[in-house]
Amino acid sequence: MVTATGGGPPSIATLRGSAKRRRKEGAVRGVLLAAAGISLVISVVIVLALLGQAVSFLSHVELSSLWSGQWSPRQGEFDIPTLFIGTIEVALIAMVIATPLGLGAAMYLSEYAGPKTRRRLKPILETLAGIPSVVLGYFALQVINPAIVQTLFATSSTFTIMAAGIGVGILTIPLVASVAEDAMYAVPGSLREAAYGIGARRRTVTTKVVFPAAVSGIMASLILGFSRAIGETMVVAIAAGATGSATRHLNPLEPGQTMTGAIASLAIGSDQVKSSTGLNAFDALYLVGLLLFAMTLGLNLLSERFVRRVRRDY
Amino acid sequence: MAAIAPTAQVRGTVELALRGSKRDLAGRVFQGALLLSLLLSLLILIVLLGTALSAAWPVVSTRLGDFVTSDVSRLPVRAGVRQGIVGSLILIGFVAVVAMPLGVAAAIYLQEYARDTRLNRLLTTNIRNLAAVPSIVYGILGLVVFVQALRAFTGPDTFGRSYISGGLTLSVLVLPIIILVTMEALRAVPKSVREAAYGVGATRWEVVRSHVLPYAAPGVFTGLILSMARAFGETAPLLLVGAVTGYLSTSSSATPLEVLQGKYTALPTQIYSWSRLAGEDWKANTAAAIVVLLVIILVVNFAAILLRNRYDRKW
Amino acid sequence: MVKHRRLGGALVALLALTLVSAACGSDDGGGSGDAGGTDALSGSITISGSSTVEPISSVVAEEFNADNPDVQISVDGPGTGDGFELLCKGEIDIADASRPIEDEEAKACQKAGVEYTELEVGLDGVTVMTNPENADVTCLNFGDLYALFGPESDGIDTWNGADSLAQQVGGTGGFPDAPLEITAPGEESGTYDAFIDLAGIEDTAIAQGVPEDEAAALRSDYQPSPNDNVIITAMEGSPSSLGFVGFAFAEQAGDQIKEIQVDGGDGCVGPSADTISDGSYPLSRSLYIYVSNEAMARPEVKAYVDFYLTDDSLATDGLLEQVGYIALPADRIEATRSAWESASA
Repeated sequence: MVTATGGGPPSIATLRGSAKRRRKEGAVRGVLLAAAGISLVISVVIVLALLGQAVSFLSHVELSSLWSGQWSPRQGEFDIPTLFIGTIEVALIAMVIATPLGLGAAMYLSEYAGPKTRRRLKPILETLAGIPSVVLGYFALQVINPAIVQTLFATSSTFTIMAAGIGVGILTIPLVASVAEDAMYAVPGSLREAAYGIGARRRTVTTKVVFPAAVSGIMASLILGFSRAIGETMVVAIAAGATGSATRHLNPLEPGQTMTGAIASLAIGSDQVKSSTGLNAFDALYLVGLLLFAMTLGLNLLSERFVRRVRRDY
Repeated sequence: MAAIAPTAQVRGTVELALRGSKRDLAGRVFQGALLLSLLLSLLILIVLLGTALSAAWPVVSTRLGDFVTSDVSRLPVRAGVRQGIVGSLILIGFVAVVAMPLGVAAAIYLQEYARDTRLNRLLTTNIRNLAAVPSIVYGILGLVVFVQALRAFTGPDTFGRSYISGGLTLSVLVLPIIILVTMEALRAVPKSVREAAYGVGATRWEVVRSHVLPYAAPGVFTGLILSMARAFGETAPLLLVGAVTGYLSTSSSATPLEVLQGKYTALPTQIYSWSRLAGEDWKANTAAAIVVLLVIILVVNFAAILLRNRYDRKW
Repeated sequence: MVKHRRLGGALVALLALTLVSAACGSDDGGGSGDAGGTDALSGSITISGSSTVEPISSVVAEEFNADNPDVQISVDGPGTGDGFELLCKGEIDIADASRPIEDEEAKACQKAGVEYTELEVGLDGVTVMTNPENADVTCLNFGDLYALFGPESDGIDTWNGADSLAQQVGGTGGFPDAPLEITAPGEESGTYDAFIDLAGIEDTAIAQGVPEDEAAALRSDYQPSPNDNVIITAMEGSPSSLGFVGFAFAEQAGDQIKEIQVDGGDGCVGPSADTISDGSYPLSRSLYIYVSNEAMARPEVKAYVDFYLTDDSLATDGLLEQVGYIALPADRIEATRSAWESASA
């Protein structure tokens, strides 16, 4: 567009280019902005949909039934703490599995593995990440529960929170590993080299230099893992057992119900509550969904505080 | 500057470091423990695949062809996963057509066009939050919006429980992930490439289209393929938006629109409903369906990883 | 760059091909039979409701599709109550049910302006069972069932712990001193409802002073499972186990369980096709389908129900018995047929 014929300096008009090009540019920018805006729309719709129905449910139900010691939608008992305890238990057990295995793998890949080894071993985690949760739920019921939970803990229950927790933990390993690895990889090489330079061994560098430097990213990986574990549905729906109703208890070696499992079981089949108020047990799932959404949102915001993303600008 | 005389301790440490870690037992053990944690994941994978395959052997070894081409049936010896496979393929077709362009466009805006204003940071944080929302909440969203509110469009004869609802729900679920992955791929393209294009007078869109996108393409495609593999395996949201879990017959003469507005099923939901049926035959069927699902997903994942390894550029 | 463009193009083409083939692939679906009639019926039928009746409706649909491949039928089994709710909302054409419709549900249908026709299609029973090696328990009466399963039994974890309660409600008691491990369907199951109904749990509970809104329930501390397979396997898991399950599933289980006879006032009777058919087994129940009157105006729905009520489906050795249920006596099949004829005329 700019002709360098040696006449005077190019004018603004020449530099700016034709109006047609500018209009096209503006149009493209508009389209792209709209696409980005859709994400805001989605968030708003989620909140509105859940909030509206949840409020309507709450207005129809006796608030005391939300603390009744038992989750039995058919009988009009909607004890939220039962679900909450189940959710937290599954997530904690999952983190017991995912933290050592995930962080260990991340540390190895980031600090010890050469590029060739890395390329060969990383697909293990990526493949694990690709396993659908319904498969892991089946695995938890058929293998983890009989072979591990029942032998280690001497329980005869076919469904246990423990088996579901272990299954969810297996699913969470890749997430913890990848976020933690990113955090450790992003630690500047200069820090490591400074440590090696004064004679530190690799183990020392890893534990005393890299790990502390990456600790906020590692915390973020654990929080994200916990959030993922809370939101996992199919493993619980298949392996934790209490589909229609559940009593409030703390024992992970018995069947239990989580928030996600409760939503799934209400969706798949719930008989009407036999009461004259015509209460629809199905609507309880909106309330539980709203609480679930709030929990994961809160955890995610918390993890963002911990993340210091080191962006590489070349 | 006066020389600092090295103490015996310092000398010892430096010598050890120079000589290598042959005598560093604790270090070796540590390294071994880390490697073990990685290999444990591998062991879990192998055990999982092994048990699925062995439980599925009665079906896989005798009637695999039939199994993949038959429809759902009450009798376990007749049941097959054809409808599930077709259903899942159509659903991810939706994801490809709806979420891909939308996601890539949004990512281009956020990465290439957006200045660091408050609104744009809010949008990015919002997308990261959406990516962390549990999939079943997206199911509820799909139920309220696509199945109930938009019923006239998604499935007038089937009360909104159609491919369209399921496909759109999965698209909304996968969209934030596509945006994040694409942004990541765009971010990896060096500034110098862009500056080269600006230097010859290109507008921002021209820079993106002709310079940035082609270089980011492998990363973007890998991300897209992995997202589709994820959508293929999703179960929970489909249970909420009306995937049929029992018997479903397929009409042999329906226009594509009728098919899309019609009842549907998917492979993961088939697995879920079969896992609740009684009898050894159904156990084998469930395991066989799992094997089919895993084969499809692992092949796709493998292809994506190969793609990435092949086209990965080192700047 | 060209490589990438080709790659991208190839991916898009692959996706397009997938979509098109999937949409067209459904052309091969349906059955293998020839178009039986000249009608070439088309349309769609939505059936939902009881998971007990689901196998019957499914196998009938499968056979129907063999001759009528253009009719798209879907059968789900979320539960009897769910089925009625969907029927009364006008969202399904036929509701499967393992119990008759209740007054509240009927009122909901009335309010929504939905009319339906009740058709009795078959018989089923609830089998009470224990471990095959358990020789101590052979017969239980309704009082015993209440003491072992009822809403007042929370916390009773040995068989003889239920003795005193059993005496109170007219049971025989005399149970062994052994751990009581119960596995049974959960409250979302129609079989749960059926058991409560047939064993008179609600009436006994009310007589015992249990508040009315808690009376129609079982104890809350047993091991519930929606998976009949799990319930049956659990019987072998403990030497003094106890549970109940639908008759069809119990029959399939064969030697994995021991059936307990039930005394409904006329002596101990064990479950079998004959005792259920003639009504002598106390825990037997009817299975129904409820057809929406609005739906039956559609030719494909009428044809389906016509087929459902043929002898091939409902009579002895028909489809219904092939999936494990018990055929109605011939006169009741006739009664259903005439009810259908007058409704669909």
